[in-house]
Amino acid sequence: MISEKRIALKNAGKYNPEDINEYLSLGGYKNVEKALRLNSSEIIDTIISSNLRGRGGAGFPAGLKEKFTRESVVDPSIQKYIVCNADEGEPGTFKDRIIMEQDPHVLIEGMMIAAFAIGASKGYIYVRGEYSDSIKMLQTALKQSYDKTLLGKNIFNSGFNLDIELKIGAGSYLCGEELTLLESLEGKRGYPKIKPPFPAEKGLFGMPTLINNVETFAHIPYIIEHGAEHYKSIGTSDTPGTKIFTISGDINKPGFYETELGVTLRQLIEDFGEGIKNQKKLKAVLLGGAAGTFVDESVMDTPIGFDSLKEKGAVLGSGAIMVMSEERSLFEILYTVLEFFKHESCGKCVPCRIGTSQLMVLMDEAKNIKTDRKKYLEKLLFEAEYMAKSSLCPLGQSPILPIRSIHRFFKDQF
Amino acid sequence: MEKSKSIHITIDGKSIQTTDGANLLQVAHDNGVRIPSLCYHKKLTPTGACRLCVTKINGTPGLVMSCTVLAKDGMDVIAFDQELEETRKHTLDYLLAEHNDHYDGPYYDELREWAKHYDLLNPLNRKYPNISKGLNYKTDDTSPILTYDATKCIKCFRCIKGCDEVQGKNVLSFSERGITSYIIAGFDKWNESECDGCGECVQLCPTGALVEKLHMDEINVDNIDKKIKTTCPYCGVGCQLELWVKDEKIVRSNGVEGVLPNDGRLCVKGRFGYDYVHSPERLTKPLIKKEGKFVESSWDEALNLIASKFLEIKNKYGNDSLAGYSSAKCTNEDNYLFQKFVRIVFGTNNIDYCTRLCHASTVTAMLKSIGDGAGSNSIEDFATTDCLFVTGNNMIETHPVTATYVKNGKYKGQKLIVCDPKWTPLVKYADIWLQPRLGTDVALLNGMMQVIISENLIKLDFINNRVDRGLEAFEELKQLVAEYTPEKTEEITSVPKEKIIAAARIYAIAETSMIATGMGMSQQVTGTNNVFALINMMLITGQIGKERAGIDPPRGQNNVQGATDVGCSPIVYPGYIPITNDENRKRIAKIWNVNYEDLSGKPGLTTVEIMNAAYDGKIKALYIMGENPMLTDPDLNHTEHAIKNLDFLVVQDIFKTETTPYADVILPASSFAEKEGTFVNSDRRVLRVRKAVELPGEAREDWKIIVSIAERMGYTIGKYTNASEIFDEIAQSAPMMAGISYDRIEHQGIQWPCPTKDHPGTSTLFLDKFNTPNGKARLNPVKYIPQSEKATHEYPFILNSGRILYHYHTATMSRKNKSLRDFANESYVLMNPGDVIKFGFTDKQNVRVISKQGELETKLVSSDQVAEGELFMPWHYSEAPVNRLTRNDLDPFSRIAAFKLTACRVEKK
Repeated sequence: MISEKRIALKNAGKYNPEDINEYLSLGGYKNVEKALRLNSSEIIDTIISSNLRGRGGAGFPAGLKEKFTRESVVDPSIQKYIVCNADEGEPGTFKDRIIMEQDPHVLIEGMMIAAFAIGASKGYIYVRGEYSDSIKMLQTALKQSYDKTLLGKNIFNSGFNLDIELKIGAGSYLCGEELTLLESLEGKRGYPKIKPPFPAEKGLFGMPTLINNVETFAHIPYIIEHGAEHYKSIGTSDTPGTKIFTISGDINKPGFYETELGVTLRQLIEDFGEGIKNQKKLKAVLLGGAAGTFVDESVMDTPIGFDSLKEKGAVLGSGAIMVMSEERSLFEILYTVLEFFKHESCGKCVPCRIGTSQLMVLMDEAKNIKTDRKKYLEKLLFEAEYMAKSSLCPLGQSPILPIRSIHRFFKDQF
Repeated sequence: MEKSKSIHITIDGKSIQTTDGANLLQVAHDNGVRIPSLCYHKKLTPTGACRLCVTKINGTPGLVMSCTVLAKDGMDVIAFDQELEETRKHTLDYLLAEHNDHYDGPYYDELREWAKHYDLLNPLNRKYPNISKGLNYKTDDTSPILTYDATKCIKCFRCIKGCDEVQGKNVLSFSERGITSYIIAGFDKWNESECDGCGECVQLCPTGALVEKLHMDEINVDNIDKKIKTTCPYCGVGCQLELWVKDEKIVRSNGVEGVLPNDGRLCVKGRFGYDYVHSPERLTKPLIKKEGKFVESSWDEALNLIASKFLEIKNKYGNDSLAGYSSAKCTNEDNYLFQKFVRIVFGTNNIDYCTRLCHASTVTAMLKSIGDGAGSNSIEDFATTDCLFVTGNNMIETHPVTATYVKNGKYKGQKLIVCDPKWTPLVKYADIWLQPRLGTDVALLNGMMQVIISENLIKLDFINNRVDRGLEAFEELKQLVAEYTPEKTEEITSVPKEKIIAAARIYAIAETSMIATGMGMSQQVTGTNNVFALINMMLITGQIGKERAGIDPPRGQNNVQGATDVGCSPIVYPGYIPITNDENRKRIAKIWNVNYEDLSGKPGLTTVEIMNAAYDGKIKALYIMGENPMLTDPDLNHTEHAIKNLDFLVVQDIFKTETTPYADVILPASSFAEKEGTFVNSDRRVLRVRKAVELPGEAREDWKIIVSIAERMGYTIGKYTNASEIFDEIAQSAPMMAGISYDRIEHQGIQWPCPTKDHPGTSTLFLDKFNTPNGKARLNPVKYIPQSEKATHEYPFILNSGRILYHYHTATMSRKNKSLRDFANESYVLMNPGDVIKFGFTDKQNVRVISKQGELETKLVSSDQVAEGELFMPWHYSEAPVNRLTRNDLDPFSRIAAFKLTACRVEKK
């Protein structure tokens, strides 16, 4: 039996998130105070050596991102920004919501430390519009932090200033993509931008910007508190630390579970999820959401980490685990996934705009055929590969993930 | 600016020299590597939408869109290989799957060209089923000038970016998302949006989704007879047009890309206002008034009559009983010969034109203070200066393309101060809008200077080194403006003192500030003083004498600048050389091959003075070329009496106008599209005008008519075979144009001064010295003088007048275009909603507007664009001629009339 190990959710459920005093009594904001006594390069070195990887799904080293943002401009008079990507929209994913609803202050703390490290004085939390409880908790937490002068000018008498503002998204999946999010933050329509330049160089309003996922920020106070060595001792060498997994689907006990990386899918499903519903057999797990991969039994015992899963042809992504029993039709699930992409494609670039529609043309044809769908799987793969290499942003590059994984693990069940 | 480093890159093994950071796709195109692309356009930021320009770059993983890559030294690029070509074909096949193939020829279809290239034109060669039918797009046909067909739209963003980045209007966007997205204007329909019809989007559309309505059914792009590059006949921006001609008819007007001043940009008039050239109302035969009626005549009869009448009057009443109005719409060559005609054949300096009615006061003040009446900067500088002060200039409507540069600058952080008693569209972009009461400009500017001086924001170095009498002159100004404290200035002008202070600081502190000053400043009895005050502020802050700083009066008509440059003035010869000086007379007499004693050294009369002299019976004959005083002159009732009092009036024009009924002979002349020549625009750029179509009927080129009249009067004013020869003589006469000839301005105009053949022209004036006798600028401190014209119980409103985007001058040309009429064709008077209620009017009702001078009928429009107590009317409409109301009180220095300020009352009709 495995058990939970909580870092991001360390305080979740332990205090009333609408009362900052309770948070302070748990030692809240002590890590910010500590960080403000360090110099910024010490903080960044600590994050780098902790090997914290971005929890939004791509797993990019968080410390390096901070370093790039810090060093892109040395002139302290240049405005830099810190942005939290709280536009959690990946199907099956609800980890950030839990953090924001139950421990909004850990996010603020993480952002403060990172802002100090990169030299940002203005921050934004871009939160998914449908997350009304998260919005409410963040609004309260920000207000109370300002009231306690934990935000604003001269924080902890250190001379460090930081303002954080909440921005509410308007229901576009694509706005969870970091460059599109920045575009939307600027008040523009959510279209993806050309990359490079990366946000570290030219981000929000053209200025150097650090943008991280909620869960990533939530790890930073812990690393400051316990040090990089301790953090690295948790999890695996490719992905140290913990991860919140959100388990849903045909499972007895769906929910969110934070535990050390290195855990296996089988452990997550059986120990936390208490097995497949109705004693059915497992058919597949969709790992990482719509922009994720279907995996079969052969991946069940792989210790989970960004790189270890990649070697198996799977992605960790956001940590969404959608469990499908033997009764499910993967064709129908893929159909839903691809319809989702068509619906969310912004239409800016040709391969994605038309490709997501052409994939549905193929799916509809295959649906009517029922037999010999395999040739359609080959066609889907061909189109999705073209889309992956020629699309502008991650959305058009995503359909290849579920399609290729079905081709790899479930060719016969299509 | 730092000069970009020269680098080498390789594309498909070909070594190419370029500059560091250049756009890779553009570099490829410039070097003949034809990488396919649809969404890219060199004047827009790269979009990366069409994905056709894929390349591979050594060291960069995956496929890279070349439009989004900046060239770096040593870059090794593969532009063509099998994988890239297959990817491109795949993308094109996709595009064709959402595209309506129907093609009928009135536009270039770049998608179709690429489909041909990749053998996909035949639908049988395509791999993907067409999904466009299911999208149920509707065509938006509501705009007067264009149609949008979403089935042909490839969603490349070029129209949106053209509207945003080039024109600064931000009207277009996508509705819906993904595969179902389509372009909308404003919230939906084109005619309900803020689209003002500039057509930038049409010019940029690569597939014919946006097509102009005008002549849509007549054009086949493969079948155009000729394309003629020329200069726009409307305002003084001098936009370069390419006229498409089919069967001797202009069927399209496009902006010429890559050439200044407009770099492809046009406004609604320049793009859609050319149909007047082919109007059935064009004059095609000389007309002689016989027994009160005009009858067609031969040229011989008309010219002989004119010659004999002019000679008779000259002999009977003397040279100074004759006068001529030249035209800001005609070419330099026409105007040059016209003034030469008046000076040699009439033997008088009674030559003037409408500039007297627009920028005479500006020019008077500028000549006295800095020695030149022309704009000190270039039009494109409006995009790069740090601060712009726009005063009395409704630039978005009157100089739309100049305004696009302002908006470009604004989006890059330029500070913009707009000063205008009436709201203008530029206010939307302004950091500060100063709304002074009509006629209080001097007080406002003195107030700003008081702030600048008391906060020590002056530039002492500049005052010491470049201002005549330096600190001493400054002290005089300082003493004069001291009483204009923010409080007092607010009291006089009604502008809140906080705004006065803020505007003063922004203008003075900015690294570079430019001033655009328009009719609102100049058309007052205090016009010259207004501009003196403006120049004073500019001088004490050192905001001139460096690049991107100075004063620029945008010129209202295509060739106002040029007509004075070539001598259509009662006091100067071509090149601003005073006529009163004997040496000058000798010099010009030699060039003209006449006896210098025959040239009058007596200053002639100005426009309004000529009318007054006619009223008094002193001017007996008037020769008008392309002017319409019966609509343009102040106090038209007075003007009408004066014109009726003439013994002989000749009007040479392309249409019958409000003035032609009073003529004895009407001569059919040439439009801009029927002749060779040059115009000079607002930034002193000498631009070519080229013949595109033949003259209608028996109409003749203006310069030829002038020469014929001279001949029949027994004078030779020159033997020319073409316009180029006339220009060469202009270059000889006007030293500032000495280095310019047609061969040098074939591709792009040159800005005077250009004294020698190898001189590149001058983009900024006064960098080293001013054009005054001692090279220094002069301060001319001026006091605020309250206006004599005041609102009274009987006339409780002060009427302001001005122009609108869709019409031009007396609308003789613009109202002959359906496209422009569809946008605006009705006179109105704006009244503040508070006054509408107070005086018991209702919006849109018909009213009479009455002044001491006269009255007219129009429609009342309730609008907070004007302050309480003030009215505004556009003056283009002959059925409601504003100048029936205006006064002919003149500015004592420049003799400009007070068009902007007339006490009126309004009555229900």
